[in-house]
Amino acid sequence: MNDRVGGSPRRVGGYGRVTGEQEYVADIAAPDALHVKLVTLDCARARIVSIDTTDAERIPGVKFVMTPAYLPTPIPRFGPQFEDRPILAVGETRYHGEPVAAVAAETKDAAESAARLVKVEYEALPAVVTLAAALVDGAPLVQGPEVRPGDPLSTTNVLREHRVGWGEPEALEADKADLVIENVYDFPMVTQFAIEPHAFMAAPDGDGIVVWSTIQHPNWLQRVLSRILGLPLSKVRVLSPDPGGAFGGKQHAKYEPLVAMMALRAGRPVRLVLTLEETFQAVRRAAATIRVRTGFHSDGTFVFQDIAADYLIGAYADIADRVVGKGSYPGCGSYRVPAARILARSVLSHTTPSTAFRGFGAPQVNWAVESNIDAGAVALGIDPLELRLRNLARRGDPFIPFDTPADGDWEQAARRAAELIGWGTPLMPGRGRGIAFGIKSGPTTGLSYSTVRLLADGSVVVYAGTSDMGQGARTVLAQIAADELGAPLEWVTVVMGDTAVVPYDQQTSASRSTVLMGNSVLHACREIQARLQSMAARLYGVEESTIVVERGIVRVADLEVPIPDVLVRGLGRLGGELIGIGEMRKEADPEHPLGGSAAFFEFNCTAIEAEVDRETGDIAVIRHVTVSDVGKALNPLQVRMQDDGAAIMGLGHTLMEHYIYDDAGRIRNLGAIDYRIPTSMDLPLELVSDMIENEDGPGPYGSKGMSEGALIPVAAAVAAAVRDATGVVIRDLPLTPERVWAALRDRP
Amino acid sequence: MRAFSYERPETLADALALLAANGRDARPLVGGTDLIIRLRDGTARPRIVVDLKRIPELRPGIETTTDLLTIGATTAMTDIAAHALVRQRFLALAEAAAVVGSVQIRNRASLGGNICNASPAADTATPLLIYEAVVIVAGPGGTRRIPIRDFFIRSGETALRPEDLALSIELPIPGHRTGSVHLRRTRRRGHDLASVTMSCLVDDRGITRLAFGSVGPRPILVEETTGVLADPGATDGAKAALLETIFSSATPSQGSMRASPEYRLAMLRVLGRRAVAIAIDRLAQP
Repeated sequence: MNDRVGGSPRRVGGYGRVTGEQEYVADIAAPDALHVKLVTLDCARARIVSIDTTDAERIPGVKFVMTPAYLPTPIPRFGPQFEDRPILAVGETRYHGEPVAAVAAETKDAAESAARLVKVEYEALPAVVTLAAALVDGAPLVQGPEVRPGDPLSTTNVLREHRVGWGEPEALEADKADLVIENVYDFPMVTQFAIEPHAFMAAPDGDGIVVWSTIQHPNWLQRVLSRILGLPLSKVRVLSPDPGGAFGGKQHAKYEPLVAMMALRAGRPVRLVLTLEETFQAVRRAAATIRVRTGFHSDGTFVFQDIAADYLIGAYADIADRVVGKGSYPGCGSYRVPAARILARSVLSHTTPSTAFRGFGAPQVNWAVESNIDAGAVALGIDPLELRLRNLARRGDPFIPFDTPADGDWEQAARRAAELIGWGTPLMPGRGRGIAFGIKSGPTTGLSYSTVRLLADGSVVVYAGTSDMGQGARTVLAQIAADELGAPLEWVTVVMGDTAVVPYDQQTSASRSTVLMGNSVLHACREIQARLQSMAARLYGVEESTIVVERGIVRVADLEVPIPDVLVRGLGRLGGELIGIGEMRKEADPEHPLGGSAAFFEFNCTAIEAEVDRETGDIAVIRHVTVSDVGKALNPLQVRMQDDGAAIMGLGHTLMEHYIYDDAGRIRNLGAIDYRIPTSMDLPLELVSDMIENEDGPGPYGSKGMSEGALIPVAAAVAAAVRDATGVVIRDLPLTPERVWAALRDRP
Repeated sequence: MRAFSYERPETLADALALLAANGRDARPLVGGTDLIIRLRDGTARPRIVVDLKRIPELRPGIETTTDLLTIGATTAMTDIAAHALVRQRFLALAEAAAVVGSVQIRNRASLGGNICNASPAADTATPLLIYEAVVIVAGPGGTRRIPIRDFFIRSGETALRPEDLALSIELPIPGHRTGSVHLRRTRRRGHDLASVTMSCLVDDRGITRLAFGSVGPRPILVEETTGVLADPGATDGAKAALLETIFSSATPSQGSMRASPEYRLAMLRVLGRRAVAIAIDRLAQP
């Protein structure tokens, strides 16, 4: 029964991952593949004068050096929001690490040596790497006005403004509130740091092309390549082996168009595997500066939230502007807020393009707003948990007036977290507690197809375009099929990551796959069950309507027949199989600010007990409690592991992670030595993940999406615990020992 | 990685001849935990790498006599950290060896490599200073002894010439009771480069030795003989005044992104105070 939904069977594909048996893109045997090395400049922004490849092409083993001269004019550009990113930099580089050329060679060493010998004559230009520099009058424009014709913002570095609000504008005036708290908070640039670096391979394939990529969205990549290469979708095959972690950083095309063009030029496979340093230069989370004005009644209930968030995105939009819009949108949190004004701006800079990253823009605003709520609680003398509960939306509350009403019993999650942290019980000296709530809008649109085949022996093949990048989608989808079709889990094969074989899936993002692909697979199984119903009616000579097929069993009057028994007899001597097609849609709503309402909300409550060393500024997280409202845990162990991982990842940007840039726009801490992420030694002494299950979600069996929520409120909860322990309030992340020490030293 | 030639001599004489012939173009290799990274990122570009792991005179190991503990230069951190006599008489060295890099790195990294790399933040440098170690060096003119306090010159530079090899490190076993400790400051609890290292020894004669690193171009040793620091009954104020004088020679880097000079100097005092207190406690333990 552990195989079934609600059990925690051994992870499908887990053995291969931990033994090294699983093939990642870098591991795929391709002895004839050329090695690619990117040629980059030692600054962020430069005018390219000339590129001389003569010396590089003399290195033995070098096949060619790809430069814009070998690419179509105008150079093809791509991007999920704006088609702004060129295949190679043309005329000007815009961030440290942007490739200006790429070497293809028989060996990795030859490619690296040659990349150093490509002579690029360039003039370094002033780069903007901070919000202040990007927004000052006369700042160099990261992208010219031609990218956004007719847009009044196109002569600034503000890519877009996103405005959301409700209530009367006068309701935001200070005299409407008993207390107004206004502060500015900063969130750093951080990187996804997937253990598997991005890798790309391409090879000509008859009259088409095949591309291997670590991408999360193979179907999206297929469309991009089809457009750039002028090939029909059927001639672009994308293979995306299960990525080794992605966290949003592998959603959209990066260097696949370049590698595809190089493969076509070479007439043979070419492969580019990024170094860790190159992944730092390829993907990151947007930094943000957030000003929050919160109005309170004296009883702690909210009068208004007034939020202005500037997100520092990178040199190309990628999906970053959507991150800004969607992440700031639920900025007021999971509360009843009578009046709200949210203005979020995506600001371009000469830095690594920021992109999707677990939490998708929500952690930045959450850090600011939850911290400001903590400040209000202190000022009003109200317990921070109690103040939050007074404002928390209850099920059905239209807490964002034009969106899905509150879809869970969030108070239950908050009270569970409070109980698990011992909220209100005495503390040891030097310790403090903090609590924060997080919320994230689920997917606003979606389209997931699947195919399920029930083979003649009762075994099952599921075709699903979801990418299993470690979140465990293979296991959950297999559990659904096993449960519905009555097969043992090890008799279920899940085929993913091949656009030539697997039907279309929009994307693996926004914690959607359990809900959207899960429902799609469930529908496909239901189609098969309907055929089994007809079969059973024929075999038993009864009316179809008297037969029920569910959860692996065919019920005929008082008989309970296992599905394989009906199947084998029903298929008869020729055998064969039953095929079900699943489709799950979440339609767009053009009137909605985000283009669609939330399919569900991810709610999480995080509670922290921390100890601060007042001499060194060290924060020790003694106990970290994270409770998510998940509707129904289809696989409770995987749910806990996801929340554990999100909690630890949240501690990264809370305590230690941040990019440090120099004036030339170069990342100074480029690499693992000086960009620190939490190790096992940095984990909380106790990490407690729990979940609330009310079977009230839109996914199979009442499930909701999860795995991002537990990251969102970590920073605010830790900072509140530090405040509780020391009285010191810090509004800049990460809370490094030095920063805590300085705050303690400078306190009045 | 740039091409280089690789030699694995079987005798000390052959190794020294290779170093003498190639000078600064040669790099000795033991654990490789510093060198391989530098070869890969291009900050070290030797013409020849000389692997020392097949030379009988350079076999790893720890030997003891009644008054001397000798650690082979190629001995791995893991083995030093676990060695019973090191733990008993030179606990600060065991503690330092136990925090170099990660488990995998400690299984490879050698004591000789750690000191010859001459990072101002090298963890084993400060304990060797408080224990008054001596580095035994082989060179073209024969073998010589370099007291550890003369060994470190500046970041990346030691008293060794390019044609020299460190053979072993000798630690005199104190004839009296001591208490010692190694502390460090890092950005996280997991493996990290230290932004301050601090070793302290007090003995039953009232002598205190403090050695600290990562706050200047070379680790510094200061001996305090008034007995005030080592005195469990001395006031905090009296100790603080002495520590101020001791730490006045620290000159932390202005441009480091790991810690500001202000923070390093403040932490030097915090670690100094804590190290003295722990060393006194350990001395008092039976």
